[in-house]
Amino acid sequence: LHNVFKSDFLFKFLVIGNAGTGKSCLLHQFIEKKFKDDSNHTIGVEFGSKIINVGGKYVKLQIWDTAGQERFRSVTRSYYRGAAGALLVYDITSRETYNALTNWLTDARMLASQNIVIILCGNKKDLDADREVTFLEASRFAQENELMFLETSALTGENVEEAFVQCARKILNKIESGELDPERMGSGIQYGDAALRQLRSPRRTQAPNAQECGC
Amino acid sequence: MLCHSSPGISLSEPKGDLGYIFELKSSHQESGPWEGRVLEKREKVPSCIHGCLEGRAQICWLEEVPLEVLRQRESKWLDMLNNRDKWMAKKHKKIRLRCQKGIPPSLRGRAWQYLSGGKVKLQQNPGKFDELDMSPGDPKWLDVIERDLHRQFPFHEMFVSRGGHGQQDLFRVLKAYTLYRPEEGYCQAQAPIAAVLLMHMPAEQAFWCLVQICEKYLPGYYSEKLEAIQLDGEILFSLLQKVSPVAHKHLSRQKIDPLLYMTEWFMCAFARTLPWSSVLRVWDMFFCEGVKIIFRVGLVLLKHALGSPEKLKACQGQYETIERLRSLSPKIMQEAFLVQEVVELPVTERQIEREHLIQLRRWQETRGELQSCSPPRLHGAKAILEAEPGPRPTLQPSPSIRLPLDAPLPGSKGKPKPSKQIQKEQKEQQKQAKGYLDKPPTPNQTKMASAAGDACPPQDVAPKDPVHQDPAPQDSAPQDSAHHHSRESLTSQESEDTYL
Repeated sequence: LHNVFKSDFLFKFLVIGNAGTGKSCLLHQFIEKKFKDDSNHTIGVEFGSKIINVGGKYVKLQIWDTAGQERFRSVTRSYYRGAAGALLVYDITSRETYNALTNWLTDARMLASQNIVIILCGNKKDLDADREVTFLEASRFAQENELMFLETSALTGENVEEAFVQCARKILNKIESGELDPERMGSGIQYGDAALRQLRSPRRTQAPNAQECGC
Repeated sequence: MLCHSSPGISLSEPKGDLGYIFELKSSHQESGPWEGRVLEKREKVPSCIHGCLEGRAQICWLEEVPLEVLRQRESKWLDMLNNRDKWMAKKHKKIRLRCQKGIPPSLRGRAWQYLSGGKVKLQQNPGKFDELDMSPGDPKWLDVIERDLHRQFPFHEMFVSRGGHGQQDLFRVLKAYTLYRPEEGYCQAQAPIAAVLLMHMPAEQAFWCLVQICEKYLPGYYSEKLEAIQLDGEILFSLLQKVSPVAHKHLSRQKIDPLLYMTEWFMCAFARTLPWSSVLRVWDMFFCEGVKIIFRVGLVLLKHALGSPEKLKACQGQYETIERLRSLSPKIMQEAFLVQEVVELPVTERQIEREHLIQLRRWQETRGELQSCSPPRLHGAKAILEAEPGPRPTLQPSPSIRLPLDAPLPGSKGKPKPSKQIQKEQKEQQKQAKGYLDKPPTPNQTKMASAAGDACPPQDVAPKDPVHQDPAPQDSAPQDSAHHHSRESLTSQESEDTYL
């Protein structure tokens, strides 16, 4: 069905965070709308893509899902270049994964771009009984570091789509306000096949809740 | 034919090489919310001879080998396994050929141990695995390992249940490795390797095979900075230029870093990429001939996925190309086709070593010295045997005076001089070697090792950590020791023990 639509934009997204936080499951849930209970851990990098409708615009997300283990970082860091958005994932039942966020954040801002739009995802929301990181604490961290924030569950699907869509919407807003220039090299944004016409003259009429993703 | 629909063959071959019986775990040890569901699936579903659960497998094809041929092969392999030294010394070509034809499933586990030298390691280190197994382990690693246990071959009956035998053994093997090489620890890509081994042998044997893979076949692949895999990515790409200029041009035009497609291929030795029966055939050859096979498989896949202008039409962008390489056509991965292509592809150890030197120099020019020191890699069973001769009976009387490893012999200034008898024997061995080795495996390694200098401590000789200490070979084979050491000090010790 996706191929029927022509996209207006193409955004490169990253999914980063410690091993075992559910990065690949988030991606799988987003694309297939299913929980993958027999997934392998990622070695190197995995990919996924999906076209979503954000405020009337079709945006193709090209998502790079990276291996979480520390020693893969030397390899995966080379994938960061040119990413427009990122999901920074930790596991709400593991403080260790939360403590690692600062490192991931530094990497993303340094290697992708200063303007990269990042949404913090506290995954495994369904395992509330084993929670080690409170919502409040994480949202403070998000605020201090200018991140958007959601708690997600790749198992139930809660907030998964929202995470990707919110991140994409923020990027679109930045483009419309002129804060982001898609034509700048390494912005992680490309015009889609639906071509440049509407975008040459940015319309500021975007209604935030118009049509949420229809795919 | 599809594997699970071949009852005739599954009757003729034992399930699992050791005839393991996998009991169905009942619902105790409920460790995850999905336990029940998985078990339910498992109870209903028959599995193929490899243990893949129906409908959940990588496509599981089985090439039909007539029963008689299989029996013949089995008896040939039994003869080889029982007369290791004779075969390894004189008939290596034949062994290679038999590995290319595929090791009979019932003997695969034993054959892998034999080829990799894991068996010798086990004999040299009796009780070592148990000792590691009893130790508690570093919580830092245990946590990561535990997160990965249920993520290995979840379609395989051995690993399907949480806390089941397969997962327990996997934990033991991986934990033991982190204790055996604490400075290396655990790399996530080791888990699929260990899992494949465990499908073919018990935990202790699997552990020693894993050690051989990590230290002899693919040294540095799982180490901290993953430099070895990055180097091999460059080597692969460079070799591709000759194998398929079209694919090479396309990939370089689109600026696709080899790491984007080859990391998982190489680090897991294709265990997570190919259909299962192809994995086994590739591993049969890999254990015999070494990393060359991994390069060849990678090159064959690239060549057939991207090697013609028609194929490239659908791969206009970087992303499309990567997609193509991640969802390869089953046709090019099919057992018979792939093995044939791999056997015929003229990429030799020497080419790989030459390219290694070039890429290493390039790396040093652009990024400085390598940060981690890996031992030189050994190209297959023969090279491993030569570097680490196992305990074996010798016809010579054992020497009456035995010298410690580093002691100089009277009259020599530095290295011990071999006795005439040993020199003679050595010549003979070299003569034999010329006959069946396509390329002598060490000269490049020696060069590289000396180029890299002595900065890196030789692990096996002077281990930093007591856990490292393998009992020296002479413990188990006293009559062999003098011969072994003096010969090594002349020929292979430098290249063996000096890390890059």
